[in-house]
Amino acid sequence: MKKSLKGFTKHYLNYTVIGILLVVFSILSIVSPTRTMADLLPSIIIAVIAALSLSLVVGFLGELSLGHAGFMSIGAYLGGKVAIALMEAGDFEATNVLVFVIAIAVGALCAAICGFVVGFAALRLRGDYLAIVTLAFGEIVRVIFTNSGKETFGGALGLDNEAQFLGQKRIYILIIIGMVLVLFTLFVIQNLLRSKAGRAITAIRDNEIAAKATGINVTKFKLMVFVISAAFAGIAGVLFSYSKNPIKADIFDYNYSIEILVIVVLGGMGNINGSMISAVLITVLNNRLTDLLKGDAAVYKDIFYALILILIVIYNNAPALKSFREKYNLKNLINKILRKKHDPSEITNDAARWDVVPTKIEMNEVLSTDIVIDKVGRGDDSADILERGGNK
Amino acid sequence: MEIIMTIINGLSIGGTYAMIALGYTMVYGIAKMLNFAHGDIIMVGGYTIVLFFPISPIVGIIASVIFCVTVGIVVERCAYKPLRGASPLAVLITAIGVSKLLQSTAQSLPFIGSKPKGITYNFGNLQIGSVSISVLTLITILCSIAVMVGLTLFVKYTKTGRAMIAVSEDRGAAQLMGINVNFIIMITFIIGSALAAVAGVFLVFKIQDVGTTFGAMPGIKAFAAAVIGGIGSIPGAMAGGLVLGFIEAICGMVPALSPYTDAIEFAILILVLLVKPTGFLGKKRREKV
Amino acid sequence: MKKTIVKILCLVFAVVMVLGCFTACGGDKNYAENNTKIKIGVSGPLTGGAAMYGIAVKNSAQLAIDEINAAGGIDGVMLELVAVDDQHDPTKVSTTYATLYEGGCQLFLGTVTTAPGLQFKQYALDDEIFYLTPSASGDKIPSADGGFQMCFTDSNQGTASAKYFNENYAGKKVGIFYKADDDYSVGIKNNFVAGLNESFGTVVEASFTGEASQFDSQITLLKDCDVIFMPIYYTPASQFMKQGASKVKASAVYFGCDGFDGIDAVEGFNINSITQEVSYLSHFDSTSKTGPAADYIKAYKAKYPDAPLNQFGAAAYDCVYAMVDALKNSGEEITATMSPQEFSEILKEEFAGDFVFHGVTGECTNGQKSTITWNEDGTVNKKAVKYVVKQKGANG
Repeated sequence: MKKSLKGFTKHYLNYTVIGILLVVFSILSIVSPTRTMADLLPSIIIAVIAALSLSLVVGFLGELSLGHAGFMSIGAYLGGKVAIALMEAGDFEATNVLVFVIAIAVGALCAAICGFVVGFAALRLRGDYLAIVTLAFGEIVRVIFTNSGKETFGGALGLDNEAQFLGQKRIYILIIIGMVLVLFTLFVIQNLLRSKAGRAITAIRDNEIAAKATGINVTKFKLMVFVISAAFAGIAGVLFSYSKNPIKADIFDYNYSIEILVIVVLGGMGNINGSMISAVLITVLNNRLTDLLKGDAAVYKDIFYALILILIVIYNNAPALKSFREKYNLKNLINKILRKKHDPSEITNDAARWDVVPTKIEMNEVLSTDIVIDKVGRGDDSADILERGGNK
Repeated sequence: MEIIMTIINGLSIGGTYAMIALGYTMVYGIAKMLNFAHGDIIMVGGYTIVLFFPISPIVGIIASVIFCVTVGIVVERCAYKPLRGASPLAVLITAIGVSKLLQSTAQSLPFIGSKPKGITYNFGNLQIGSVSISVLTLITILCSIAVMVGLTLFVKYTKTGRAMIAVSEDRGAAQLMGINVNFIIMITFIIGSALAAVAGVFLVFKIQDVGTTFGAMPGIKAFAAAVIGGIGSIPGAMAGGLVLGFIEAICGMVPALSPYTDAIEFAILILVLLVKPTGFLGKKRREKV
Repeated sequence: MKKTIVKILCLVFAVVMVLGCFTACGGDKNYAENNTKIKIGVSGPLTGGAAMYGIAVKNSAQLAIDEINAAGGIDGVMLELVAVDDQHDPTKVSTTYATLYEGGCQLFLGTVTTAPGLQFKQYALDDEIFYLTPSASGDKIPSADGGFQMCFTDSNQGTASAKYFNENYAGKKVGIFYKADDDYSVGIKNNFVAGLNESFGTVVEASFTGEASQFDSQITLLKDCDVIFMPIYYTPASQFMKQGASKVKASAVYFGCDGFDGIDAVEGFNINSITQEVSYLSHFDSTSKTGPAADYIKAYKAKYPDAPLNQFGAAAYDCVYAMVDALKNSGEEITATMSPQEFSEILKEEFAGDFVFHGVTGECTNGQKSTITWNEDGTVNKKAVKYVVKQKGANG
């Protein structure tokens, strides 16, 4: 019994929680829709889906995408356009589920096609270059939508989706479909990562050349990640188009991409539940801080986020802080509070779990434990050499 | 006539990009990291010159160089050095964080605030026949060429410069040869930040206005210029900057293309990266296992 | 097992937090039931690039409210201003609107600028409240369901400018300098071009995008024009003027719209250093020496000596008076605890009906207050004035 409970919590706890929230908020939003709910809940749902899809690229493939908002923009514009056209053609209401689903399919498909194109760039380029290409992609999308004709996408005025906009009274449809989509996104991404493909993707992250050498089809998996990630970003975009009027391309700029990135980094790169929790946290915090910080003080929010971003990355990645973070981390802290000591007799079959597969062991770590030079003399510099040597 | 005007405009816009790209390429070539905050150091330089301008332009230029170098050193020591040896992704995200931090900190300072600040200063024009060219453009171009030549000579013929090349080729081997890698990278950041300060000064004189996101777009475009020219290559940065300047000038002259200027520049960047990832003048590197 | 506990804790925490955010809010309730004064809400840029407008609106609305309160309020009921900062950012409006609405505001000045205003309109329509915006000039801002404007809509600005050009600059070489990624700018430009008559031949168009820019190409295109129409805000306009100071024809006229308001007060821009004329079409002349406009300016200067003064503020001043006049005019009994919807009913009927307001904006002739009326669709009727910021020639 205990074992099955453990297995359940391990794999399905997040589904259960979202499922409960889905029921709770569906009822709440139908019975008594409030302003805060109509604003905050869609933003949270959109942020969660966007963060999940970005974490696939950043956390699991190990490539930086700075144009994620570009995919959302494509989803929002094309999905929104299709929804409006359908509503006009068939005289449907904005709450029509069929129209909603078609819009989502179209938005996801269009974004996926763009993801395929950007994925091609990812085949030739890595790291900084790819980051710049994705940034350029996001900017190009923004410029094209901003300068589109008045009839097509509304140009600088934005796509006028008054027919599609749900508002406070009809928001329940977005909340229900959105939360089902969160479940769907979670299901697809979690299962992808637990599959053979997921292991191949993390293998590419940790060492592309070694992965290639073991016979992993790098081309296929990179394209796959970009396509899936873009498709879900597109879905987030379609949801966005239902919650805002008009849809303006300026919203999906570089800063928006960075905001999603902050969520993913804060949630712990490569941690799906972490990404979701931090998406909720950041969105709620954003909302509250805008309330609290009035006037010129609003800028302190940005300072705070920037500092958090820098500190978390340094804490998680600085070679010099390795022993420090092994000693003081969230997990140990919680264990301490729960007064639980590590029990060596408890054998965990970690190796079989996708999220703790020791893919993170890098060559340099093996080397630096073999030859313990970094404790003598000018520590970090010598470690530096070994790591450089190891990386190459 | 139109063509001559376009060329002059291209030189004028491209000159400032070249100046920024030179700093970018130095830092990227040697520290091997994309310093997203470079554009914001330009902003720091821009604000310093605007604030000191009433005292004297010369004092302003000196102050902005000193201040930018200080900011550059602090950023390098506090944010980038702890991550030396960590994954490039971590460094890149930190750089983005630093960029945002500089922007928002600037905005929170009471003497800067969120409103743009400006100066009014006219350099005048030089009339050659029927063509008039701004004196500022000439100064920018000459300065960029001087910096390009100076940097090339510095890197080729001084001990520190050659140490830089060694560090950029193979950090580990350079260290074994007795080169203080951390020191060399700091020197690189000092040079990069000083160049950013100078670029900031030129940009302020050009636009005559400075806001907190003033360096961001020129910074990204200059990086694009550096990539087009071949990252790590000093003449390449200059060439890339001018190419981008000409593209912008041509787009600006054609009303139909004008709104798409940014998109066209970025599309060219993507094309160059896909066709020739090393840029026009860059060296090919082989990835070793 | 430990990991599981950690996970459960995290998720429980998340659930509690999310629930906590929503359970506090009720349904269709009257947030104003505990008010002791009538609250007037406005959302505008109090910081950021457009702060000059938001601050003027806030100060002027406060000035009007203080004057009304000093004169006894609305049948003894006092007024109070609530101003929130949206930084001219549409994404912030969801929060600013909630702050105003759930904070018990009953009368609304909407937003100061257009982009956030479109968002505001959606919420206002949802809650069926009335708003009278001083300066959000977008074509889609007014609404027959309770959205009214004190300023001209963009299409009216473009058309009015074209009309002015047809009458005064016929046959001259006209250039347009606009911001291609700004709806305000593109909206006015399209209507302007459509409204010009055939005497102008081809119009030179130059555009830019983004923020601070190098305008070399645009200056080259426009340097021979006699009149340059600039439907943009003052920051890029001042940059263009500075960069083009020695290149653009010295006799040229820079002709703007209400976004030019405040151009003479831009920090670091000495408007007298350029030789060209700078003018714009407006509904308020902030250099007025006589008449109701001058009275307003005097009162404003006395109260806020260092704050920006512009037509946005004047419009906000008129908005407050217009709403109060309409309430008094309706003859209904006004209390401080009435819901925004009840106020909306009264005001909608007044403004859509034949309510006539006399204010400081619009053309004031012979020291009399101007006459302002509204159409049923929410747009305003009043006479525009050309405001010359600076005459031709350098004076400093």
